[in-house]
Amino acid sequence: MELPARSVKRDRLARLASAYGQELVVLGAVLVLMAVVGTVNHRFLSDTNLNSVFSGNAYIAVAAIGMSMVIITGNIDVSVGALIGVLATIAGTLATRGYPVWLAWGVPLVVGMAVNAAVGVLVAYARIPAIVVTLGVLSILRGGLISATGGKWITDLPPAFRAAQARLFGVPSPVYVAAVLTVLAALWMRYSSLGRAIYAVGGNAEAARAAGIRTRAMVVFVFAVHGFFAGIASVLFATQLQVIQSTVPPNLELSIITASVIGGVSILGGTGTVIGSTLAALLFSEIASALIFLNVSAYWLRAVLGLLILGTVLADMARRRRKGRLAP
Amino acid sequence: MKVDVRSLFRHETVLAILAVLTLAVLAHQHEAFFTADNLLNQGRLAAELGLVSLTMTFVIVTGGIDLSVGSILGLGAILVGVFWKNLGLPLPLAMVLTVLVGGLAGLGNGLIITRFRVPPLIATLATLALYRGLAEGISKSRSVRGYPEWFFRLGQGDVAGVPTQVWILAAAALLAAVVLGRTTFGRATYALGANETAARFSGVAVDRTKLLIYTGSGLASGLAAVIFVSRVSTTRSDMGTGLELDAVTAVVLGGTSIFGGRGTIVGTVLGLVLIQALRNGLALAGVKGDGTIVVIGAVLILAILVSNFVGREGDG
Amino acid sequence: MRRVRSVLVLLLAAAAVRAQAAGWTGGDELPTNPLPCQGAAGAEKAKPYDGGKPTNPPNLKGKKITVVDVPKLIGIGYFNATSKGIADAAKELGNVDAKTDGPTQANIDQQITFIDNYITSGVNGILFAANDPVAISPVLKKALGKGIHVVGYDANSEPGAREWFVNQAEFNGIAKSLLDNMAKEIGEDGAFAIVTSTFTTPNQARWISEMSAYAQKCHPKMKWLETVEAQEDNNLSFQQANTLINKYGDQLKGLFGMTSVATPAAAEAVTQANKCGKVAVVGLATPNAMKPYVNKDCVKSVVLWNPVDLGYAAMYVLRAVTDGTLKPGAKEVKAGKLGELKVVNGSEILLGPPFVYNKGNINNFDF
Repeated sequence: MELPARSVKRDRLARLASAYGQELVVLGAVLVLMAVVGTVNHRFLSDTNLNSVFSGNAYIAVAAIGMSMVIITGNIDVSVGALIGVLATIAGTLATRGYPVWLAWGVPLVVGMAVNAAVGVLVAYARIPAIVVTLGVLSILRGGLISATGGKWITDLPPAFRAAQARLFGVPSPVYVAAVLTVLAALWMRYSSLGRAIYAVGGNAEAARAAGIRTRAMVVFVFAVHGFFAGIASVLFATQLQVIQSTVPPNLELSIITASVIGGVSILGGTGTVIGSTLAALLFSEIASALIFLNVSAYWLRAVLGLLILGTVLADMARRRRKGRLAP
Repeated sequence: MKVDVRSLFRHETVLAILAVLTLAVLAHQHEAFFTADNLLNQGRLAAELGLVSLTMTFVIVTGGIDLSVGSILGLGAILVGVFWKNLGLPLPLAMVLTVLVGGLAGLGNGLIITRFRVPPLIATLATLALYRGLAEGISKSRSVRGYPEWFFRLGQGDVAGVPTQVWILAAAALLAAVVLGRTTFGRATYALGANETAARFSGVAVDRTKLLIYTGSGLASGLAAVIFVSRVSTTRSDMGTGLELDAVTAVVLGGTSIFGGRGTIVGTVLGLVLIQALRNGLALAGVKGDGTIVVIGAVLILAILVSNFVGREGDG
Repeated sequence: MRRVRSVLVLLLAAAAVRAQAAGWTGGDELPTNPLPCQGAAGAEKAKPYDGGKPTNPPNLKGKKITVVDVPKLIGIGYFNATSKGIADAAKELGNVDAKTDGPTQANIDQQITFIDNYITSGVNGILFAANDPVAISPVLKKALGKGIHVVGYDANSEPGAREWFVNQAEFNGIAKSLLDNMAKEIGEDGAFAIVTSTFTTPNQARWISEMSAYAQKCHPKMKWLETVEAQEDNNLSFQQANTLINKYGDQLKGLFGMTSVATPAAAEAVTQANKCGKVAVVGLATPNAMKPYVNKDCVKSVVLWNPVDLGYAAMYVLRAVTDGTLKPGAKEVKAGKLGELKVVNGSEILLGPPFVYNKGNINNFDF
């Protein structure tokens, strides 16, 4: 019996919805929040505010791309915040010492890749769990940064360095950077064999190995890519203001990990997309702004944020259960 | 089982050797390091971390993690003040209630993990923010001070020449070692950490065990909160920030596998001793704060690397 | 799941009630003492000495001493400056070996551990800026008990836990200076918001309380809009300031930055929003971080004191106390190139009037 064309299309739509369920939930939350807060205070939807909201967490979204990939392979990285702090300082130091801007932007990418590739080697070949390695690296980078800078801030950055924040059609560049990188990464992970191998390694390492994927090399590769994205994030971060602090931004890694997780990347590996993590980073920025617009008492901000994270996580779990699958 | 014990033994041997070496080197650097006065003082300073690390061992042996312990400590800390000053309860009752609320917070973690099947990392990441937020909101960032003198005996006083909280820590360590190593509950913990599905099919009460373990973690954080408030004579909603990563470091350094199924209290205690000795000894040797954190990070990676090399097949 | 959602809504609703205008959000609700609106304060009545005393301190008069400086945290411009002042003074004195060491986060737990370690290592003197006045006192008293000299600066402990405290300026003096400068720029009926570090930071909380009391007394028509927290994080301060500018639009005429991290970030937000000259930024900051904004006329003046002088004075006070030239009951103390500094409030040493950085002088400083 032939299925009527409409129900085939509906079926495909339903499958799409279920495959991207969490991403749609986050997108929905972004839009709903805009509508709700926009009615309370129309200035929430003004150009300047939307620009701030979209670009404020752009560097977190970019870092979350790499983090999502790492989590999809079944690993984690708690040192990324410290790494971004270090790379931002490197970028700023090069810029203030008179090196050309492209070098100041490029060196952090290379250093990020190198550091994280080393982490990847320790994880894949020395078989030290990722959380342990990155816990150690976190300490080393944090202490190292203070030792190297003596706690001094970097001021008088040359204007050319800060061109990373230039606006195109009134929208700050970080927004474009985050959007383009997200789309490219998502396409790469879905349609290229290397990208799909990442999911395979995270989903079932044995099966992946049996299928001929060199799982250990893949892990090193993914960590290196993650370092690359951390480098880009650090440039966006370093150019946001006219000074660069020499301390590691507190809780940055938690924000990045939470963005990936809320965006649908499963901590058990194997599922999730980078689109979700970017949308989640956007959602956080929006919530931070919304809570102030809604006059939520400043004393309760963090409690509300924690509750929202919890609520989203519980909703996601309930949704997966309804699909008949337990948490993968 | 036999292979496990032997390989575990190897990690702890490595760790014990490392600890002894470290103590020797640090003692050589400064004569004040290896004195009874200093060692007991370090015990006093490490009591809160110690308590939380003991229960964290159980949590990690089950293959889970609890990132909210620092926030529960912060919540507990301000609750001591709120119960005593704002609600007017007698101080001993306030202390007990605080520990109980800590347990409740831990129970909350456990429920989210068992009932809703949220992975422990995410569940406790969310409660890390929530519990800290509750601490800030309830206290409105005010401190409560002015406690009666007897209260300070807990955190600042001695019993028979040894700091009060060190006695508590020692008793807790003994209790934890017995429970983990010699009771059915302990065996259930290892079993569910090694293979949760198999454990469930063998009749182990997996969910109940997990609930008890996370509640225990909360109770330890609550107790640590009371001790901390007593040690510094005031309450603040930002107390305990960063405690969770320190606890995980101590436990993992002690040989507990992050994937679950292996680990001992003795290992955790050794890990704790090593970290505290480094923090104190390096400072006495003239190394500044930043240098100390670098060393601790390096030691963590090296210790696991060495024990991987010396010992078993490796994980995963 | 539905239950979770309704709990969420309830908490959101409860939290939506803003803190009442008894005092501004971020203040500490302790008693305030606003200065008169015109002219200087009346004469201070002398208070008896209320500082602590070290037990059997060794006689180190004229001898070389080791001193450690443990600020609230390291890695921000403000404490880099005080550290520089301490180092400058140590060099001038010639018989002091001083170093700065502290936590990388403004965390009282860690600060206590640092001080405790240095007590054990046998330093002769401790300089500190406390993350919490009460929590730091037990460990400082322990230092005094071991014969170590203890002098505080910037952020006080309980008086009995240290011998002297070098105060940059009185809380109410700072409050008056900040508000008077803001009123000068935005007018007597302007509306403003505050960006602070956290509500648990004692100095900031005191200043906000004093500012609230002084405003009520002398600038009653100025309108406080809200206070936001931004930790000691530059980027977060920037985002929070941005949100405030976006939320209030033209209603917002001024921003107070309560820390050396918040003020440059607020200035940057105003610059990027193209509101220089329309939104005034007044606050505490180190000159280097503010040079771009002051030189472009986006920020007219930075009200502060000189943190390098603060550290410098603290070091001289510690040396004087060690040498026995500064005793309880003294009315003033000589602090190197700063001259004679006055003793107020029993055991506090006043640095002097606030220093105002503006376009004319900001380029003379490098910290």
